[in-house]
Amino acid sequence: MSAYLPGIVILVPFLGGILIPLIPFKSRTARNIYTEGLILINAVLVAVLLFNPPQGVLEVIKFTGNLRFAFKVDGMATLFAGMISFLWPLATLYAFEYMTKEEHEDIFFMFYSMTYGVTLGIALAGNLLTLYCFYEMLTLVTVPLVLHTLTREAVLASRKYLYYSLGGAAFAFIGLIFIIMYGNSTNFVFGGVLDMAKIGNNTDALLLVYVMAFMGFGVKAAVCPFNSWLPDAGVAPTPVTALLHAVAVVKSGAFAIIRITYYSFGTDFLRGTWAQSVVMAVTIFTIVYGCSRAVKETHLKRRLAYSTISNLSYILFGVTIMTPAGLIGALTHMLFHAFMKIASFFCAGAVIHQTEKEYVHELNGLGRRMPVVFSVFLISALALMGVPGLAGFISKWNLAAAAVESNSVLAYAGVAALLISALLTAIYMMTIVMRAFFPGEDFNYDTVKQYKDPNWQMLLPLCIFAVMIVFFGLKSDIFVDFFGQIAKGL
Amino acid sequence: MNPQYELVIDNICGMGLSFGFDGFRILYAVIATFMWIMAVAFSAEYMAHYQNKARYYIFTILTYLATIGVFLSADLFTLFIFFEIMSFTSYVWVAQDEKKESLRAGDTYLAIAVMGGLVLLMGLFLLYSVTGTLKIEEIVPAIITKSTYPEQLQKRLYTAGGCMLFGFGAKAGAFPLHIWLPKAHPAAPAPASALLSGVLTKAGIYGGLILSCYIFPGDGKWGTLILALGTITMFWGAFLALFSVNLKRTLACSSVSQIGFILVGIGTMGLLGKEFDIAARGSLLHMVNHSMIKLVLFMAAGVVFMNLHELDLNEIRGFGRKKPLLCFIFLMGALSIMGVPFFSGYISKTLLHEGIVEYIHLLKEGEAAVFFTAAAMKAIEWIFLISGGLTAAYMTKLFIALFVEKNREESKQVLFDNRKKYMNPVSASALTLSALFMPLGGLLPHMVMDKIADIGVSFFTVKTSGHIIEYFSFENIKGAVISLTIGALVYLLVVRRLLMVNGKYVDRWPKWLDLENAFYRPVLLTVIPFVSGVVCRVLDSATDGMVVLLRKTVYQDSELKREPEEGNEFTHKIGGMIDRLIRYLNQTVWSYQPHKDNVEHKMAIRYQQISESNAIISRSMSFGLLLACAGLALVLLYLLF
Repeated sequence: MSAYLPGIVILVPFLGGILIPLIPFKSRTARNIYTEGLILINAVLVAVLLFNPPQGVLEVIKFTGNLRFAFKVDGMATLFAGMISFLWPLATLYAFEYMTKEEHEDIFFMFYSMTYGVTLGIALAGNLLTLYCFYEMLTLVTVPLVLHTLTREAVLASRKYLYYSLGGAAFAFIGLIFIIMYGNSTNFVFGGVLDMAKIGNNTDALLLVYVMAFMGFGVKAAVCPFNSWLPDAGVAPTPVTALLHAVAVVKSGAFAIIRITYYSFGTDFLRGTWAQSVVMAVTIFTIVYGCSRAVKETHLKRRLAYSTISNLSYILFGVTIMTPAGLIGALTHMLFHAFMKIASFFCAGAVIHQTEKEYVHELNGLGRRMPVVFSVFLISALALMGVPGLAGFISKWNLAAAAVESNSVLAYAGVAALLISALLTAIYMMTIVMRAFFPGEDFNYDTVKQYKDPNWQMLLPLCIFAVMIVFFGLKSDIFVDFFGQIAKGL
Repeated sequence: MNPQYELVIDNICGMGLSFGFDGFRILYAVIATFMWIMAVAFSAEYMAHYQNKARYYIFTILTYLATIGVFLSADLFTLFIFFEIMSFTSYVWVAQDEKKESLRAGDTYLAIAVMGGLVLLMGLFLLYSVTGTLKIEEIVPAIITKSTYPEQLQKRLYTAGGCMLFGFGAKAGAFPLHIWLPKAHPAAPAPASALLSGVLTKAGIYGGLILSCYIFPGDGKWGTLILALGTITMFWGAFLALFSVNLKRTLACSSVSQIGFILVGIGTMGLLGKEFDIAARGSLLHMVNHSMIKLVLFMAAGVVFMNLHELDLNEIRGFGRKKPLLCFIFLMGALSIMGVPFFSGYISKTLLHEGIVEYIHLLKEGEAAVFFTAAAMKAIEWIFLISGGLTAAYMTKLFIALFVEKNREESKQVLFDNRKKYMNPVSASALTLSALFMPLGGLLPHMVMDKIADIGVSFFTVKTSGHIIEYFSFENIKGAVISLTIGALVYLLVVRRLLMVNGKYVDRWPKWLDLENAFYRPVLLTVIPFVSGVVCRVLDSATDGMVVLLRKTVYQDSELKREPEEGNEFTHKIGGMIDRLIRYLNQTVWSYQPHKDNVEHKMAIRYQQISESNAIISRSMSFGLLLACAGLALVLLYLLF
C-alpha cells in the first residue's frame, strides 16, 4: 500500500479538485464540506505516509535510459510535505469565509486543491526530472489563482508570473540536463551524485550551470533581481497570497534549490568555489533589499510580500553556507517562516475582508476593534523580527550561528545583513502594530466603530498559527534535532 | 565564584535558560522588586485618571518579570532573551498617553533598543565563536585555555566586546546613545520613569559589568575605554541637566550623568586591576544609590505632575511651599545625589573618588600599568569633581524653584498653598519609605552601605581587601566640599545670571543642537534610505528593463496599426461585384421587393474586425505558447516516424 501512497496523495486533491466545478452542489456549504473533507483526508493520508515512509526510491514510470518518474520519502520530503499538509486544511478553512466576497468560487477551489497535489508532488519527487515536471505544473495551476479577479492588474501580474517562472524553469532545465549527463544517478542522494571522473576539466562549466540552476529555481524563491513578480502577484485573493506566495510556491523554489545543492551537485563539490560566493552574495543582497523595499511600501499585502522576499533569502543564505549547520538553519527558517508569514498574511486578509482597507496608513486604531487579529499579527511581527521566545529567534540564531561557524568573510557579512534586516523588519512590522494599537491621543474611535473580528473560520487558523509560533519558540529542539538528522543524510 | 544556587532549564528557547542566585544577582533582584512595589503603590493614585490602565499594569508586570530575568541570568543567552523582552514591554510605558511627543519619544526609544539589541546579538555571535560558551562563569576559563591564541581571535574578541558594549551602553544611556533618556523619561508616567531610570538603565550596566569583570577582567585597555566613555557621559549629562527647565527632563539628564559616574567607577576598576576592590565597591554602591534616589525623585516629580499636569519649572514654581512632607522627600533625594556628607550618595561618590585617587597614587609610584598619564588622570579627577558640582547646581535649581521661590503669578501661588491634599496616604508612605534609605545609608555607612557592598562585590571578581574606609576623614570630606563649592558657584554665577531672565527660567540650549535631530534622524531616515533607494530602484527595474530592451531590439514588436484599414482590394472587388449583382437582381427578379444591403461596406468592416483580433492574438502570450506546443508536437512526430 505505502508504495502507492505517494501517487495517491498527489492524485486525490488533484482529481478531487477538478471535480469541484463539475459536481452540482446544492449549496455553498455542501461544496465547502466536500472541499475541506477532500483536503483533510489527503492530509491524513500524507500523515500516514510520512509516519510509515517507504524505503528507497519508488519508480513509477520509466521513460528511456535513466529518465524515470520516481518518488522518495526522505527527511526533506517529510518536512516539506508535512508542513504544507498542516497548513493546507487551515488555509482552506480560512478561504471559505474569505472567498464569500469574491466571484468564481468553484473555479478557485478547484485550482486551490489541485495546487495542493502538485506541491506534494514537488515534496515527494525522488529525482530531479520528477521535481522539474511538478515544478512546471505548479506554475501552470497557480496562474489561474493569480488571474482570479480578472482585473487589469491581475492579468498583468499573472502574465509576469508566467514569464518569470517559465523563464526560470528554462534555466533550471539546463541544470537538469547537466546532472543527467555528469551524474552517476539522477535520484536524490544526500551529498550529491556528480561523478568526478566524468567531469574532468569541466569544473568551471559545471559551476556555471549550478549558478544558472540556482538562479532559475531562485525565480520562484524570489531572489533579487527576479523578485518583482511576487509583490505584483499580491493582487490574488489573500488565501493564495498567504499559502502559495508565502509558503507553497516560494518554498518550492527554496526546496528545489536545497535539492540541487545538497542532493544533486553536492556541497563537497561546491563549497569554497566562486559559485558559492556568487549565490551567497545574491542572497545576502536580497535579504537587505527585500526589507528595505518593505519599509518603503505602504500597501499592506505588498509590504508583506517584500518581507517574504527577504525571508526566503534567509533560507537560501542558510543553504549557501553549505555546511550541515547551515542546512539546519535553512530548514528551521523554512518551517518557522511558513507559520509566521502565513499568520501575518491571514491577519492582513482578515483586515481587508472586514474593513476593505489595504494601506498601512488606514489601519489607525483598528487594534481595539479587532483584538484577536491584531494580537496574532503582533505575535507574528515580533516573531519575524526575531524576538527571543518566539519562532523567528530560533531560526535566526541557528542561521547566524552557522554563518559565524563557517568562518568566511562573506558569511560574516551575511550575519550583519541578518541583523540589519531584523532592524528593518522591526520598522516595517511594528509601524503597522503601532498604528493599530497606538493611534494617538486625539484619535476618534467612532470612525472604526463598525469593524469587528471576523468569524471563527478565519480566527481558528489564526489562533492555531499564533500558538504554533510560541510553541516553536519555546520548544524548538525536537524540530531542530530532526533537521540535524536531515543534515546528516536522513 | 560559581553561583551557589543555579536553576537551569534545558530544552527551551533553543539553547536553554540558566539563572544564578548569588550575592549581586539577588541584591539587584531585591532592589528591583522593592522599587516595583513602591512604584506600583504610587501608580494607584497617579494613574487614576489615565486611560488604558489595564494595559499599563499588564506591561508593568511583564517588564518586571523580564527585568528580574535579566538580573538573575547566569548566561549571556538568557540575559539577551530577557533584555529584549524588557525593551519591548517597556515601550508601552513611554507611549502610554499616546500624545504626539510620547509616540515620537517611543519611536526613539524603540529604535535605540532594537538597534542596541541587534548589535548586542552580533557581539554574542562573535563571542560565541571565540569562546564556544555563553555561560558567564565559563567565559574566563574558555579564554584562558586559548591564551596563546592568534592575533585574529584577539581582535575578534575585542570586536565582540565593542558590539556588546554598544548594546548594553544603549540601554544604560551612555554617550552617544543617551538620546532616548531625556525624551523617554519625561514622556512616561512618573512611576514608570522611576523604573526606567532606576532599574532598566541598570540592566545595561549589569551587562557592562559582565563585560568588564568576566570577559576583560583587569584589562587596562578595556578599562581605559570605559573610563573615557564614563567621563564624557558623566560631564555631558550634568551639563545638559543644568540647561533644562523641565523637571523630569532635568532628572533624566541627571540619570545620564550618574550612569557616567558608575561607568567611571567600572573603568577605574579595570585600570586598578584585580588587587583593589575600592572602585568596584564604589560602582556597586552608586548603582544602588542611583536606583533608590531616582525612585524618590521621579516619584516626587510625579506628585507635582499629578497635581498640576505641568513640568515646566516656571509653571510649577512654588508648588512645594508649605508642604513639609514633599519637601523632606525631595530633599533626601537631592542631598544624596549631590553627595552631601551624611547621605548615602556621599558614600558611593567618595569610594569612586578614592578609586581615581588610588590610581593616581599608583601611577606616581610607578606601580600601575600606564594607560593614562598622571596628569590626564588628574584631569579626570577634576572633571569628576566638576560634574559633582554641576549635579549640586542643577539639584539646587530644582529645589529652590519648587520649594523656596514663589510663583510669579500670585493667584497660582495661593492655589498651590491651599492645596493640602496633594497625595493620598498610600503614595505618601511609599515615597517616605523609599526616601528613608538615603539618610540611613549616609549616617550608618558601615552598617548599611558596607554590608550591601559585601553582599554584591564578589560578582566583580576582585580581591576583597577587608580594608575599612574612614568615610568621614578630612581627606574624603574635602572632595565633597570642593564639589559642593563648585556647585554653589555654578548656581550663583551661571544659573541665577545666565539661565534666568527677569526672574524667569529660560531654556538657553540651542534648538538645533540636539544629537537626535541633528544627526541620527537625518542619517537614518534620509541619507541611508535615499542611497539604498537609488540602488534598489535600479535593480528593481533591471529584469523588466532587460525585457523592454530585448523587445526594442532583438524581438522587435510589429507595430500595431493604429487604424486598421477598412477592407482591402479583395473585399472591395468581391463586395463591389456582389453589390452590382444585387442591384441587377433588384431591377429584375426582386423588383417588387428590392434588397438594400451594401455588401462592400459590410465586408470591409468585417475585415477590419478580423484583422484587429488577429493582431491581438498574434501578439498574445497564449499564441506564443500555442506555437511552441505545435513545434513540440511536430518534433515529437518527426522523432516517432
